Amino acid sequence: MIVSTVEPSDEALAARAASGDDSAFETIVSRYQARIYRLACRLTSDTDAPDVLQETFLQVYRHLPSFRGDSQFGTWLYRIATNAALMHRRAQMRRPAASLETFLPRFDDQGMHAATPAELQIAARADELLDRRLLAEKAREVVARLPDLYREAFVLRDLEEMSTADVAQTLGVEPATVRQRVHRARLMLRGFLSNLVEVRS
Amino acid sequence: MSEVRCVSGVELLMDYLEGVLSVEMHAALDEHVAGCEKCAAFVASYCETPRIVRDATAPPLPSDVEESLKLFLRARTTAFRRN
Repeated sequence: MIVSTVEPSDEALAARAASGDDSAFETIVSRYQARIYRLACRLTSDTDAPDVLQETFLQVYRHLPSFRGDSQFGTWLYRIATNAALMHRRAQMRRPAASLETFLPRFDDQGMHAATPAELQIAARADELLDRRLLAEKAREVVARLPDLYREAFVLRDLEEMSTADVAQTLGVEPATVRQRVHRARLMLRGFLSNLVEVRS
Repeated sequence: MSEVRCVSGVELLMDYLEGVLSVEMHAALDEHVAGCEKCAAFVASYCETPRIVRDATAPPLPSDVEESLKLFLRARTTAFRRN
């Protein structure tokens, strides 16, 4: 007997799951659960991520029959997960976040960088210069402190590594808006890392 | 074209990296960065920031969360099919 060792595609599994094959649905869940959990942690918090994970796959199960294959299955699933995370977050009381504006780059009267090249470079080596656990803790805190609009764009574009076009489609905004939000987030985070290295060393 | 300053270079950096600027503007930024040690340092740290934050914020799925998800979906999908 010849046994195929080729993994079935997401789309093939989705079609089987939609017609009532629960083992196909379980395969989809095991294929994506770690990625969706990570996304949920980045968009909400460790505390809320398990709920977002459950809600996402329940929605996927319910809506599988309406998955048309217009987009890739993964993109479709990420859209559901992102919406579940954003809905969940909006349902929570938002704590006023301390402003990260203070970490934006500074310029002199001539429009030139105020910091020295060494100071401007240092954030690039944050992972070499800082303790790994400290960096993990601080990085998660600072991502949570980003203003919501910047956070969702940055998480999808830079942490989940989606294309700008896919992020725009997922969030329902123009690509230029995605670029502008991701850029602001990067500037704040770059400055935050820089400050963290200076304070710690 | 007027001379690029660090402040306008920073403002356009993401568009520059994504290749959506005009050819002239792209070339003007290339020229500025090539001659500006501060901007070269800034661009290097700006480009590394997503990777550093990505590596630092990648929690693995805890086994208890995975188990709860499995039980939850079994219960809910069974209930869903019955209705």
